[in-house]
Amino acid sequence: MADAQENHDWEGRYYHIDQILDAPGPRTDEGFMAGEGVKDFLRNQAKILVIGAGGLGCEILANLALSGFKDIHVIDMDTIDISNLNRQFLFRQKDVGKSKAIVAAEFIMNRVPGIKVTPYFGKIQDKDNDYYLQFNLVICGLDSVEARRWINATLVNLVDPENPESLKPLIDGGTEGFKGQARVILPTITSCYECSLDMLNKPTAFPICTIANTPRLPEHCIEWASVLEWPRVHGDKKMDTDDPDHITWLYTIAAARAKEFNIEGVTWSLTQGVVKNIIPAIASTNAIIAASCCNEAFKIATSSAAYLNNYFMLIGIEGVYSYTFEHEKKSNCPVCGGDSVSLSIKPDMTLEELIDLLTERQDIQIKNPSLSTPTKQLYLRAPPQLEEATRPNLFKTMSSLIPDGGEVTVTAGTLPFSLSLDISYT
Amino acid sequence: MIKIWSMKKSEEAAGKKKPKTSAAQIRVQKDLTELDLPSTMKTHFPDPADLLNFSLTITPDEGMYAGGTFQFSFAINTNYPHDPPKVKCTQTIYHPNVDLGGNVCLNILREDWKPVLNLNAVMVGLQYLFLEPNTDDPLNKEAAQEMSKNRDQFLSHVKSSMRGANIKGVQYTNVLVQ
Amino acid sequence: MNDSQPIEAATTSIQVPSGAPDAKTRRYDRQLRLWAASGQAALESARVLVFPATATATSILKNLVLPGLGHFTLMDDEIVTGADAGNNFFLDGFKSIGKFRAQEAVKGLMEMNDGVDGVADTRNIQEVLKSGAQWLKSFNVVIAHNVDSVILEDLAALLWPDTHLVVVNSAGFLAEFSIHYREHQVIESHAETSASLRIDQAFPALLEYTMSLPLETMDITDHAHIPYPVILVRALEEWRREREQAIGPSSGKGYPATSAEKKAFKERIRAMMRKFDEENFEEAEAQAFKCWTPTVIPLEVKELFDLYPPSSSTSSSPTAFAGLVSALSQFSQNNPASPQYPSGLLPITPTLPDMKSSTEEYVKLQKLYRAQSEKEKQVFREYLNKSLVDVDDATINLFLKNSHALKVLKGREWKESDPGPRELLTDKLTSCPKEAATHLALAALRKLKAKDKPDRESLKDLLTAEAQTFLPSGTELPEPEWPIASGEIARAPSADLPTTAAFLGGLVAQEVIKMITKQYIPISAGNAASSENDQLGVCVVDLVETWTGTL
Repeated sequence: MADAQENHDWEGRYYHIDQILDAPGPRTDEGFMAGEGVKDFLRNQAKILVIGAGGLGCEILANLALSGFKDIHVIDMDTIDISNLNRQFLFRQKDVGKSKAIVAAEFIMNRVPGIKVTPYFGKIQDKDNDYYLQFNLVICGLDSVEARRWINATLVNLVDPENPESLKPLIDGGTEGFKGQARVILPTITSCYECSLDMLNKPTAFPICTIANTPRLPEHCIEWASVLEWPRVHGDKKMDTDDPDHITWLYTIAAARAKEFNIEGVTWSLTQGVVKNIIPAIASTNAIIAASCCNEAFKIATSSAAYLNNYFMLIGIEGVYSYTFEHEKKSNCPVCGGDSVSLSIKPDMTLEELIDLLTERQDIQIKNPSLSTPTKQLYLRAPPQLEEATRPNLFKTMSSLIPDGGEVTVTAGTLPFSLSLDISYT
Repeated sequence: MIKIWSMKKSEEAAGKKKPKTSAAQIRVQKDLTELDLPSTMKTHFPDPADLLNFSLTITPDEGMYAGGTFQFSFAINTNYPHDPPKVKCTQTIYHPNVDLGGNVCLNILREDWKPVLNLNAVMVGLQYLFLEPNTDDPLNKEAAQEMSKNRDQFLSHVKSSMRGANIKGVQYTNVLVQ
Repeated sequence: MNDSQPIEAATTSIQVPSGAPDAKTRRYDRQLRLWAASGQAALESARVLVFPATATATSILKNLVLPGLGHFTLMDDEIVTGADAGNNFFLDGFKSIGKFRAQEAVKGLMEMNDGVDGVADTRNIQEVLKSGAQWLKSFNVVIAHNVDSVILEDLAALLWPDTHLVVVNSAGFLAEFSIHYREHQVIESHAETSASLRIDQAFPALLEYTMSLPLETMDITDHAHIPYPVILVRALEEWRREREQAIGPSSGKGYPATSAEKKAFKERIRAMMRKFDEENFEEAEAQAFKCWTPTVIPLEVKELFDLYPPSSSTSSSPTAFAGLVSALSQFSQNNPASPQYPSGLLPITPTLPDMKSSTEEYVKLQKLYRAQSEKEKQVFREYLNKSLVDVDDATINLFLKNSHALKVLKGREWKESDPGPRELLTDKLTSCPKEAATHLALAALRKLKAKDKPDRESLKDLLTAEAQTFLPSGTELPEPEWPIASGEIARAPSADLPTTAAFLGGLVAQEVIKMITKQYIPISAGNAASSENDQLGVCVVDLVETWTGTL
């Protein structure tokens, strides 16, 4: 068949996977349509986004390609460093300095025929809602809390009750040394990344007075060099933790201080580790977590088996210890919790009248609310300067402040977190 | 694909649509509008539309720093409240817990920061430093030593530094004029 | 939790003098921060054989090649099929079809790290077992994926106990693996428990220093920077002296025992404060439990003393580890470096945790601990010299530093875990039905494969019949766990799914790295010193509900 030739779907290519796709198993949902339908969706229709082409990302891309996803997009803003090569197996020495997303995409397309991987060398924040709306699924292999919070909030915000397609499952993986976790987030339905923010380990921070006056550990000397001495000596010049010369400078300063205080153990590597907040990373843990993420993506995309509900945590220091549990959604989560109210109002209603309405309505009952839109403050109760600055808005009409279909965030001492209003005009 | 939407329908959460205001932004709005500050502390926003960068003025009405007007800059990043606010003293002051570069030693600004803390807690903590400087864990060690070993000398340094004197080659900011 | 290494240990030996690390250290930086140069050296001198070249097998190898394994041989006499080309990332797609699986996969694997020596061996394992089997014993680890029981029996018997056999099995979403070794000794377990500071049994120099401090009259700032161990030792000694005066000389080494005494002791610490906010005293109060938590030898370490009794000099020369443990045992019985508390102690730790303190006081305390540690090391050395084992200084230091967290594991021989003793399996079906059912289903499949290509339609029934033969007659298979496990296998009996392969690739490589580096704790059938035999040492994986478990 010419078509099969074009798709590189040679005889037996999916021998292994098709055992799953041709028949249901004991834990397969009734809605699973075994056979050609599901294969067609997976191989010809599903579009999946991978965020991060690093330790997890490389593994994720390879797994997805072999699982039969053929339209894969990948975003990463980083370039390849030599220290990536012990685990980021799509990269070689000659690739150092190039874009991770681009090199990874090319590697996958060369190795696995018939797969299209579209790279984007840049930030996730560069892309708008329409971009994210095109995917069926998003898998994250990131090492940044901030980026995860952003994509999580973006996908939660994307959910439109009128459009089932707007709900994009988010599968998130993370590793640290021998430990890792994989989780499935169904935005607005299950617990989200923000719901579990308090589960994160606190990054080590030392008291600044210890650093300044009573150093005891080599780390204290290194922080002295980076937190206090660098700005004192270099002024506004930014420290670049990827610049070996900067690390060497910090190391020299820290080593001298350590010597002065009889502290042992300051080395170049420790200096680099402390200032870059380096987290140990190995191929094996990344492989486990990435495999788990892709396995969930495969099961969700095909309905071929039950999927993770919703958190898998692995600790490989002593034996193979893992814990699978359902992380509970938080009702006061700033991203997916809180209430949302649709308000239909007259376009000439003033902001003050709206506030009165909010205060009076039995089902809302807010005292002293402050209001803002995603781009500006409408009315803030306090501090006095902001109250004064926003007071003129009270007498403006709502339609002059926000467009039809716009959203207003309300905070008040009486609310657990916030309330959002969907404003439409009659 | 799994039929997520059918699950969605059965959820009470159905029909929710969230604003695009970031969690950090909402948290800052909440923190600021719910500040409960004594009259000795005031915030100032150079750009009222930017809630993430502002200054705090502390005018202690008791203690050895009474009468001074002390300025701090607050810079909040989009990872708030996971990350603490960055706070610096914008003047050169003579204080055991503030160094000459404006770094402030306050535990909840660094090692003891938790997302459940808020801007109010930070501000109250800053004011406390002016009422009860901590000499055990100083940032300006000389000032701390002076305070615990030679209190009179320390008080006189505080007074003259607040007037903008030059002490041992350090030019302090006059904090009485503002 | 902290599973990272002190970096100085990780990199000093392979660092260029200017300070900045060389290219190799930079490449391996993120893993050296876990297992240090010693672990890396072990990995780089290890030899591993893997067969056959399935997706799972190459996934395992990938995670050994990337961190820099010394040598691997991939053995497989088969030719790449369309199915292989479809699920194995290390083959070159359809271009590999028709070529030797081992050769094609080795090419793909070797690209990732030219520091690794990799060989494709296209012989048939059964033929190798017949002729030249001894060569198989030249490997440290042999890993077999989805190999039937008949071959495994011969191979396991040959390799036991010197070469570790790793048996990996998978079908669709289910998998299991086990490592077969007699005993595995771990010095660097990277345990999360820290060594005792011996607050309750202070060594003479510490006690003397502590009692010499003029707490009432010393400089107030210095007072607020006394490290908490000093405060605790002082408070406890004063408490003991008062008690001795009150009740009599025999009571001098006790500690607060009742809750009233403990409360009073904490108040005593508070009363020592000279200002209300001395954080070091607050820390001492929080750590006061150290005064009534007697320093003892952890049970797991004590058990090792029986496992390696002091060498009866007639027996064959003991291994280094046995010699070290035996010296430790003698040390624990008589430690002349601690005259007040000569027995029941492990050598003292030379490293202190961070604590509220001035630099001077901290360094002073550190020096006291180091000096005592040196003294005790000399005592230890004398015992060690008698045991006639030759151990280098670095190993001795490592051993002493980790003596509170030593670990010796036992494994099972392959025939003892395929599928395992009947009674034990019966117990496991009750205590962990999901894991046990999965294990039995995979074992049954292994047995069936050795017999004949089973018919897929009747596979579920065949699996059930086979599983029954593993159990005492009349044993009920658990519901719904057995129908689920056997049903999953019947759905995809020969599916080596890419994601299951990758998951196993990570898990198995990780355990193999632990075995090779002798760091961290691999899966086991329990502690070697324990008489309990209630663990199979098999790790089971279910990727539908996404859990792992150990039987």
